[in-house]
Amino acid sequence: MFIARSEYDRGINTFSPEGRLFQVEYSLEAIKLGSTAIDYLAAVHYTTGAQHTILTSYQVATNEGVILGVEKRVTSTLLEASSVEKIVEIDQHIGCAMSGLQADARNLVEHARVECQNHAFHYAEPLRVESCTQAICDLALRFGETGDDEESVMSRPFGVALLIAGFDEDGPQLYHAEPSGTFYRYDAKAIGSGSEGAQAELQNEYHRSLTLEEAETLVLKTLKQVMEEKLDAKNVQLASVTKEKGFRIYNDEEMGRAVATLGGNQ
Amino acid sequence: MMSFMGHQPQSQAVGYTFSQPTNAPNKEHSFYPYTDNGGSTLGITGADFAILAGDTRSVAGYNINSRYAPKVFKIGGDDDTGEGAHIILSVVGFAADGQALKERLDAVVKMYKYQHGKPMSVRACAQRLSTILYQKRFFPYYVHAILAGLDEEGKGALYSYDPVGSYEREQCRAAGSAASLIMPFLDNQVNFKNQYIPSSGDGHALEPKKPEPLPRETVEQLVRDAFTSAVERHIEVGDGLQMMVITQNGIEEIYTPLKKD
Amino acid sequence: MTGFDFSNYNRNAALHAKGVPLPKATSTGTTIVGCIFDNGVVIAADTRATSGPIVADKNCEKLHYISPKIWCAGAGTAADTEFTTALISSNVELHSLSTGRDPRVITCMTMLKQHLFRYQGHIGAYLVVAGVDPTGTGLYTVHAHGSTDKLPYVTMGSGSLAAMSVFESTWKANLNREEAVELCAEAIKAGIFNDLGSGSNVDVCVIEKDKPTQLLRNYIKPNERGEKERNYRFPRGTTAYLNQKVISKEDMRKYVTVEEVSGDPNLMEVDS
Repeated sequence: MFIARSEYDRGINTFSPEGRLFQVEYSLEAIKLGSTAIDYLAAVHYTTGAQHTILTSYQVATNEGVILGVEKRVTSTLLEASSVEKIVEIDQHIGCAMSGLQADARNLVEHARVECQNHAFHYAEPLRVESCTQAICDLALRFGETGDDEESVMSRPFGVALLIAGFDEDGPQLYHAEPSGTFYRYDAKAIGSGSEGAQAELQNEYHRSLTLEEAETLVLKTLKQVMEEKLDAKNVQLASVTKEKGFRIYNDEEMGRAVATLGGNQ
Repeated sequence: MMSFMGHQPQSQAVGYTFSQPTNAPNKEHSFYPYTDNGGSTLGITGADFAILAGDTRSVAGYNINSRYAPKVFKIGGDDDTGEGAHIILSVVGFAADGQALKERLDAVVKMYKYQHGKPMSVRACAQRLSTILYQKRFFPYYVHAILAGLDEEGKGALYSYDPVGSYEREQCRAAGSAASLIMPFLDNQVNFKNQYIPSSGDGHALEPKKPEPLPRETVEQLVRDAFTSAVERHIEVGDGLQMMVITQNGIEEIYTPLKKD
Repeated sequence: MTGFDFSNYNRNAALHAKGVPLPKATSTGTTIVGCIFDNGVVIAADTRATSGPIVADKNCEKLHYISPKIWCAGAGTAADTEFTTALISSNVELHSLSTGRDPRVITCMTMLKQHLFRYQGHIGAYLVVAGVDPTGTGLYTVHAHGSTDKLPYVTMGSGSLAAMSVFESTWKANLNREEAVELCAEAIKAGIFNDLGSGSNVDVCVIEKDKPTQLLRNYIKPNERGEKERNYRFPRGTTAYLNQKVISKEDMRKYVTVEEVSGDPNLMEVDS
């Protein structure tokens, strides 16, 4: 894509003659390229039933959910590991993992949180995961010149991609949202600098009857394969979304247990 | 009070007054944006249905604006006829505000389906209506609204509102000008208030009659009796009775004529 | 003469100043009409009485007797129309007795307007006075402040505009009895159906030369209530109570004294 570089890559509201928006394409690179903010991400959507049965809501097995996992690259021994926040809560039933410019992600997450709260306020029910993803993507597209009635918007596309995991009446769901404003739903998805390898691994290992423990193991195993450092309970983080407990980030004890289980399996 | 003679302003027709003549201060002119268009509505739920009903008369003072001005509406239907709707709303009070509120809620329910890919539940719609009303806390929609549909379990659901959004789920509710005439009747006939099981005990031990969901036929009869009775004693109620019955098979609309005097 | 009692005036003025509202009087919201015809005059009225938006009486009588050949239809405050017409009826009777002549409609009208004017509109009676006397047929309206009109057809009350629309569109001169009755009934019906202050039935009174006056009570009943769909009888014992005291027939003897009287017990005791 760099061969077509020209003056068209400067304006964020200008298509190139080939019909491309370079700034948006570059923003996708920010997710993949190595920088302090960029990390491996893997998320596995596990279910004990086939996906299509979930739509009839009541039959969703109680232990279904989504596991999110990230590598926390601790670049310095002086860095406080707990301050690296790559998995955040959006609402009780939705969480997300990020790859790219973390500061940008905070904007998106803040927007998503407000949307969730607004929906609960207006409708006395949780926002659906897809609607939440859509709300994030709506904001992701609001870059460029300020409209008459719009307050300040981003002058450039967001440089971050999100993996949004949640649980609603349609069961557990996992979405991948890009800076271009497009989103897709996945059973399992990896983003970030090691995502090609991780995605291939998930492709081979994922099946629809994974249990919670198996999904944890698969996420950690996938991260381990693409990480440069040796995986331990400190440099990775897991989170889960289940019907019963909603979204929760694993604490140190749970991380220790999950990593120990991985060691045992291999 | 006050004879309402065509020729005389009301205050003058009051046969007597106690007001003392004052040095008339500056005349204050004001615009009052509300009108009371009278009429009454009522809603009752059953095990697997809900009914909303309202008379079709619209009044202003001693005049009749219309003998057929509906107060019960389908919300979130697919077309102008309201086909496909699964929520109904009744509004009584200031008709223009009622109309505006219904249009707004209808739009919200339609947008919800586009945005979230599922029909809005009655519970969600009830909460949304509350926030819509409260948003106009200091310039309210001058209406008493009642919302009805079927809940997640298929049971009849009814929510009643005050003009600024306070709401509650109930078995039955009457609103509008004849509410004070109809509501005690409903309390007695739907919730069996003040009815006890004969010779079930002495004094305080006498057992109250337990309310249970009524069959549809009975509820329809109660509604018609409530309105024919209200017509007898309230001058703003009359002309026609519009009933909407919501079941899992959809919404049925029934019109019954009422006295026109 | 009328003996109004003003002893509460100062107290009520003080209460009113503090914001205590006046009690609601029953108002005969009302459509009343009158129309002369070749041999006499017809007056008619609806039968609804209201208190605010509530129907106080579904079948009240708004046609008041003054003398055998003078009748009055009343609108306004119910008590005022009833007492005023009763008072004037008495005075008309006394006047007739002292003059030895049949009372005249114009006399009655004059007495009414003088009475009402004296009270400066505080007596809220709006009347249609009609009758036949030795001078001919009379038909007048009297307003609460004391003004009067003399016309071949008149309407009053909150339904007066609805009723007048019927007269103005269909009245013609030299009506006969039947035509006049029908016209008045139609005018009242216009009030019943188009004015919320009027309703229920049509009462008509026909006063004719050399014929007895006819009061056609409930001449038309266009608003009969239908059957109720459910039965609202409660089983005996439905209402809760905490105490009961049964007084038997025997106990009743404690409260009365029985005195034996002579003669036929079936005969009522009367002055001989």
